[in-house]
This record gives sequence, structure tokens and C-alpha cells, in this order.
Amino acid sequence: MAGTADSRTLHTPISPFRRWLISGRWTKAVVFLILAFFSFAMFYPFIWLLFSSFKTGADIVRLPVSLLPQKWTLSAYLMVMDPTRANLPIAYVNSIIVTSGTVISVLITSSMGGFIFARLEFPGRDYLFYFVLSTTMVPFLTLLIPLYIVMRELNLLNSLWGVWVPSIFSSFGVFLCRQFVYGIPRELYDAAKIDGSGDFGIYRNIILPLTKPILSALAIFVFLGAFNAYLWPLVILNEEKKLTLPLIIARMANRFGGTDYQAVMAGSVLVSIPPLIVFLIFQKNFVRGIALTGLKG
Amino acid sequence: MTTLQDHPVSGGQTLPQLPSARRDSVWRRFRRASPFALIYSGAILIFYTIIFIIPFGTGIWLAFQNWDFITNPKFVGLRNFTKAFTDQYFWQALEKTLLFSVVEISLGLTIALLFALALSQILGKWQNIYLSLYYLPVITPLVVSLYLWRWLYRPTGGAFNTLLSSVGLPEQPFLASPQQALWAITVVIIWAHLGTGIVLFLAGINDVPESLFEAARLDGAGFWQSFFRITLPLIRPVLVYQMVVSVIGTVQMFEAFFLIPGPGFSTRTLALYTYELGFRALNLGYGAAVSLIIFMMLLGATVFQLRRWRIEWEH
Repeated sequence: MAGTADSRTLHTPISPFRRWLISGRWTKAVVFLILAFFSFAMFYPFIWLLFSSFKTGADIVRLPVSLLPQKWTLSAYLMVMDPTRANLPIAYVNSIIVTSGTVISVLITSSMGGFIFARLEFPGRDYLFYFVLSTTMVPFLTLLIPLYIVMRELNLLNSLWGVWVPSIFSSFGVFLCRQFVYGIPRELYDAAKIDGSGDFGIYRNIILPLTKPILSALAIFVFLGAFNAYLWPLVILNEEKKLTLPLIIARMANRFGGTDYQAVMAGSVLVSIPPLIVFLIFQKNFVRGIALTGLKG
Repeated sequence: MTTLQDHPVSGGQTLPQLPSARRDSVWRRFRRASPFALIYSGAILIFYTIIFIIPFGTGIWLAFQNWDFITNPKFVGLRNFTKAFTDQYFWQALEKTLLFSVVEISLGLTIALLFALALSQILGKWQNIYLSLYYLPVITPLVVSLYLWRWLYRPTGGAFNTLLSSVGLPEQPFLASPQQALWAITVVIIWAHLGTGIVLFLAGINDVPESLFEAARLDGAGFWQSFFRITLPLIRPVLVYQMVVSVIGTVQMFEAFFLIPGPGFSTRTLALYTYELGFRALNLGYGAAVSLIIFMMLLGATVFQLRRWRIEWEH
């Protein structure tokens, strides 16, 4: 509209390109292209990871290096997936056990805690809540050495239990769920109470379904945290058969040094797949979850 | 902590009690409380006793002892703390930690903010696609990213040096050089964490009412002017939150310095120093003392940041 009016008053024809330039819409296109370039730059390391994992041992150390494999091969994948030659398969099982255990326990304890600290009454409730919250002020690094000693006393060293136990409860999760439960109308709780429901029944039938949005967001973060955890499993586990995936990748990378690196690459690809699947499935919750947890937390 | 008080209903207030209920003794109130709540409270109390109170207490006790896991612990008073102040390795680790933390946070948050700003100019569908791409490094296990980058950083035959020499620039040693290793690692961590910052900033920017920009545009404000006058002040809470979280995160960063270290002590931060004292040198008392110093530093930094923010907020 504006363009046609201009051309009529100025009596000079304006090319579509000029009109586009004047409209200011080109800034958006430039921004778009810059972002496209940077997203490629950020993705660049992954391209190397993916292509290198299909190389042979000789190909990966060949000079000058080339991004694409000379001959595509699955030998690296076959090697790391073979239980007799690599411990990756058993680490996969270990990681899945620890991660699912952590996610399930945190979801249960957080949703219960959120409900209890927000709606139920008992003496010392708020003191207990603020105590739980205050534990986040102490960095994990400070607790590392003494917590190791405690785990040693409990005979939990070198077992997956020892990895799992410190993450049964999550003070962050309890806090998040408590904030969320405050957003659920109190009348729902009161009405169910009058109908004769017990507190656990109310939790099970009313609160749990209603806290689903926050729980799915929490689940993603707990999953990533547990699946990618390195320091605590490193301290607790040392037997090769009990290691989790990040530990195995680190051992493989250090053992193989520079040669056989294609196996490390193939292992890395396999290790990155579960978080990627979780991300793709819950993508919508993801962004919303980060906004929820980050800003309201 | 501040957000707690900001929240209108989070003080733990309950409905007004009947006068008779208020006069109840603690014992009565315990008996009236639901078993569900009491069992849960008992469980969480036991959990945090084992996982928090006992270790924290042990840590403080340990900081005043000399212990190597084998012989009996020996009380040494404040010696572990005074030792830290004369220990050149401690100061070196502190220096590396601060350098890494300050550069990672200032660069990382600035880049994230710029990306979020650019993304906010783009349509919703493409915004999500770009966002997912930027978020990939965040969901990738850090161990994977670190070894991948070490592979790309290789002095001979690494992807980055190939790239550099193909455009006529001199090849760099990266992780092999004491001067560059810390910054090489910083770049990896910025890359790995950028997505979180972008998502948070973008959420903040998208929350700013469009009418404010409209009004500013009518008053003749340019893009950058409305950014500094409107967007930046309004996303300040996000910025402060990110700074607090990033300080805690960067000071505790361990994997990077443990798995792809530079030569010598060039990338040994306090986190790695604590680990080495506790699990390599078996100097548990000194390790506990260093980790307590880290705790006090972080506590101080967090309180300082939040207080400064609150002062600015009130003006």
C-alpha cells in the first residue's frame, strides 16, 4: 500500500527490490542469515563427531584430515556394541537403571513434598521446608569428600545404589512443586476433604494429575542431570562393569589415546542418543519448562 | 531466596485458624496432622540428615583434622586454613577459577543475550527451530562434548587448525599450550551452556509487553535505544538469576579441567584441586578446608549479587 502511494506521488517506478529494501524487512532477513550461520557454527563439532564415527582406524588419523570418511564403515559401532570387546553395552544398562531410578524417585518425592508443604498442616512444617531449601546453598563440591566418607560407612561404594541414594529427594524439585501447588485452587483440596478423602487419596487423585506440567518439565532436567552426571559416579564407582556411560566414554578416550578414536566417536554418538530422544519427544515442555523453572524458580 | 518473598502466597500462610485451634498444644497438632505428611517429613528429615547434615558436619570437623584415610585423624586446629593462604597452588587454583568464571560468565551471557535478541526478531516457527539447534550442546553429555572438542583442538590434524591453515592463519597449539588451554576450555563451556542462556533470555524478552516497544517507537526510539531503556531493565531478574546460577556452576566446574586439562597446572581450578587433595593426595583435612573456603566464597558472592540487585530494584 505504502509503496504504491509513493510511486504515484513521485512518478518514478520502484522496483520490488527497492521497495523491499525501503520496507526494512531486509533487516529481518539479515538477522535470519546471521543466525543461520551461527547455528551452523554451533552444529559444526557434531558434524565431525558423526562423520568420524563412520571412519576406519587408519582413516581417522590420516593427514591431511578430511571431514568425510574415505570409506564408510560401521566397524566402530560394531566394536563398541560388542559386549566381549567393549563395556559400553553394560554401561548402557547401568546408566538406564540409575537414571530411571533417579527420575522416578525425584518425581514422587517432589510432587508429594510440594503438596505436603503447600497444603497440609503439622508443627514445624515451614521450618522443615526452609531447611530443605537451605541445603541448596551448600555447593556439592563442599560435600564431596565427607559424603564419600559417609557412603563408605554405609557400604555403598562401588555400587549403583551409592550413585542413586543422594538424589532420591531434590530440594529444587520440592520447591518447584510447592510453588506449583499454590497455583491450584485451595477449594479443590477442601472439597475433597469434605467428601471424606484422605490426604494420600487427594494427592493421588487430584494433586498428582494436576501437577503433570511441572513434573514433565522437572523430569527432563532430572533425566539430563542423572544421565550426564560425571563427578559423583566417578567418586563412587571404579569397577569396570559398574560404570555409567559418561565414565566409560572417558575411560575409552583415555585408553585409546589417539588411535582407535573412531570407537570413542561411535560410543559418543550412542551415548548422545537417549538425551536427544528425550529432548525431541518433550521439546515443547522443554522450552516452557526452562522458562518455568528458570524464572519462577 | 528473594523470589520466595516476591511470591504472593509462598510465605506458607494458611487460612485463619479458629481460636480454639490456635491454642492447641504442639502435641495435639501432631496428633491431628495426617500420617501421610508425618511419614513424608520423617523420610525427608532422615534423608537430609544422611546426605546433608552428617556430611556437612563431617566436612567442618575434617577441616580441622589431618587425615589420610589410614591413620587416625589428628586435630590440627586452624592449620589447614592458614596453610591455604600460604599455599601457592591454592592461589594458582583460585586465580584460574576466577579467570575462568569471570570470562565464561561475561562472554557467555553477552553472547546469549545477543542471540536471544536476534531470535526475538524472528517468526515463531523458525525461532523454535533455531532454539533447538542452539540447545543441542546443552543436552549432549558434557563428557562427549569435551572429548569431541579435544579431538578438534588437536595441534596436528585437528579440525580447527585445518580450518585456520586453509584461510592462511598460523596453526595454534590450543590445549597443548599453558597460555591457551584455559581459554580453549572456556570456549567449550560457553558453547556447551549457551543454549540455556538463550532460552531464558528469550523467554524474558518475549514477556515484555509489545505495547511498550510500540510506545517507544512512536516516541522515535531506535532499536538499541529501546533495548537499553526497555528490554534490559525488564529482563534484569533473568540476568541476575543467570549470574547467580552461573557463578555457582562455573566455580564448581570439574569435568572440563579433569578430562581435557592443559599442561601442568595451567588449568587446575579449585574444584579440581579439591578433588585431587581428597582422592589423589589423600589429604582429606586440607581438601575439606579448601572446599569450605569455596563454600564461603560462593555464599558471599551470591548474597552480594542478590543484595546489589535488591538495592537497584528499590530505586
